[in-house]
Amino acid sequence: MGMSWLHDIILRKFNDIAGTRYEEILKAYKNFFLTEEELVIPEINSILLAFDRFSCRVSEDVYETISAFENVSLQVVYVIDEGVLRMIRETLGEEAAEEFKEKEVAFAEDFLREVEKKLGELNFKFSRKIAFGDKAEYVEDLSEEYDLLVISRRYGSETTKTHRVSPVVFRIVQHVEKPVILY
Amino acid sequence: MDTMELIALVIFIGVYGFIMSERIHRTVAAMVGASLVLLINIVPWEKVPKYLDLDTILLLAGMMVVVNVARESGLFEYIAIKTAKLSKGSPMKVLLLFSVVTAVVSAFLDNVTTVLLLTPMLLYITKRMDVNPIPFLLSEVFASNIGGTATLIGDPPNIMIGSAAGLSFNEFLFNMGPIALVDLFATVGIIYLAYRAEMNAHKENEEGIRMTIMSLDENDAIRDPVLFKKSITVLVGVIIGFFFHDRLGVEPAVIALTGASVLLLWSGASPEHALEKVEWATLFFFGGLFIIVGSLVETGAIAQIANWMVSHIHSEGEAVLVISWFSAFSSAVVDNIPFTATMIPLIKAMGTQLNTYPLWWALSLGACLGGNGTAIGASANVVVIGIAHREGIRITFGDFLKVGMAIMVTTVAIGTAIIWLRYVGL
Repeated sequence: MGMSWLHDIILRKFNDIAGTRYEEILKAYKNFFLTEEELVIPEINSILLAFDRFSCRVSEDVYETISAFENVSLQVVYVIDEGVLRMIRETLGEEAAEEFKEKEVAFAEDFLREVEKKLGELNFKFSRKIAFGDKAEYVEDLSEEYDLLVISRRYGSETTKTHRVSPVVFRIVQHVEKPVILY
Repeated sequence: MDTMELIALVIFIGVYGFIMSERIHRTVAAMVGASLVLLINIVPWEKVPKYLDLDTILLLAGMMVVVNVARESGLFEYIAIKTAKLSKGSPMKVLLLFSVVTAVVSAFLDNVTTVLLLTPMLLYITKRMDVNPIPFLLSEVFASNIGGTATLIGDPPNIMIGSAAGLSFNEFLFNMGPIALVDLFATVGIIYLAYRAEMNAHKENEEGIRMTIMSLDENDAIRDPVLFKKSITVLVGVIIGFFFHDRLGVEPAVIALTGASVLLLWSGASPEHALEKVEWATLFFFGGLFIIVGSLVETGAIAQIANWMVSHIHSEGEAVLVISWFSAFSSAVVDNIPFTATMIPLIKAMGTQLNTYPLWWALSLGACLGGNGTAIGASANVVVIGIAHREGIRITFGDFLKVGMAIMVTTVAIGTAIIWLRYVGL
């Protein structure tokens, strides 16, 4: 038993003296205290930048943010929707599918050239690839290998005139367990 | 000893017992005791105004209204963030600055409100610094009790003593202020020496800690900028009023009530809301206690004890020593409010044969600083230990006792020496 009864007295007194006042004070403090989660800065060693034909140009703010991570390795990936390609092949034939593929790859090369130029200027080490697959699944699977995902809010859909973020991006953000920069 | 005197003593001891054991709420114990002495007519109804010290009760009520309205503006969180940022994440600076700010705020506001408002910030910083929070919390508690000693309005015993002896705010500041100042730095020094090994933040995290603390914006704490400015203006006005109350011939309670009225009028704050937060339980506790102690005066018990004490004490010097140390050890164990309420008529009764002026300072010293001795010695101790317990930090009665007693003995010794040098001489 020891001196535990004295401790009981203290706790009983605390309820009498402080009561709900302390709860109110804590609520006021919570408005400007950082939470435990906010205080943990994730360690970022690798970043995945995912693009498609609907992605916005990467803003200067985003480049500036990723520049803050030193010695980070970057993977730039441009995803072409394999489902569309398959549909064209099945309905319009192999030739039309090849033509579509060539045009998409050319568009991707143009898009990535600009990104690569900027990353080169910022002295980033990076690799790039153009991939075919389901836009959501591909990014979800690949992002597991990286510490941070950077993605445009228009990725996967241009129907962002009514919604500011595309449904594909919503799905990705809900599924990946890594931090995401959405621009 | 006649029957009435015996009944009054039994009621008094019974109420003290309930207050100490906390089996029933101290306010209920005091109210039951007061009702009994009034029912039995030990204290006649017409003498209630004489014993009910309205100066003390109204001063407390007025300050409670001012503080509660000011609290709504976010003023105290603002002070806490400013203090945190000044410390720049250095454990030693956190210890010193929070102790000084706690002492200064406690000198003008009630200690419980002060520690309730500053402790969440202190816990946040110590968590970020990844250091043992206990020395910081203990230092805050001790600083609060020491700061309260410095002024007439800092601690309830001082309010009661000031009212009973007719002492002014400036007399308190002049006599108790220097003692509180020396005691505060002695306390921080002792805490530092006792816990210095546990107060080192990890060097590699220094920048991160500093950035986290500096990222706090004190302006975020201000919930109502207009009320914030009005609260500061009224608080400063009230404090200036206290400095001049004796020259103006106005009681401190009138200053506090005027401040409360002005703030309510100027801010447009709801009086129902502001008065709801007045601690009526505390005020009724005071009221009940004054009447119970009045019953001891009325029956002559106090006069007999005072005569016995005077027959054994031969000079003011001896009285200073006895009162300061007896008050300190008693206040470490029993609530200093009922203790002071009992000692006041005793010292008054000793006035027939001794100069009581230095004795009031000895009582203030012992009653306020004695609270540092044990975990239940003062309300601020209990509040901080209660908060710590909620946050998973266990400060046991024994842990507190070890440091608390050392602080109490040191600070009371310093205070007694200063009073002795000033009023008794070598």
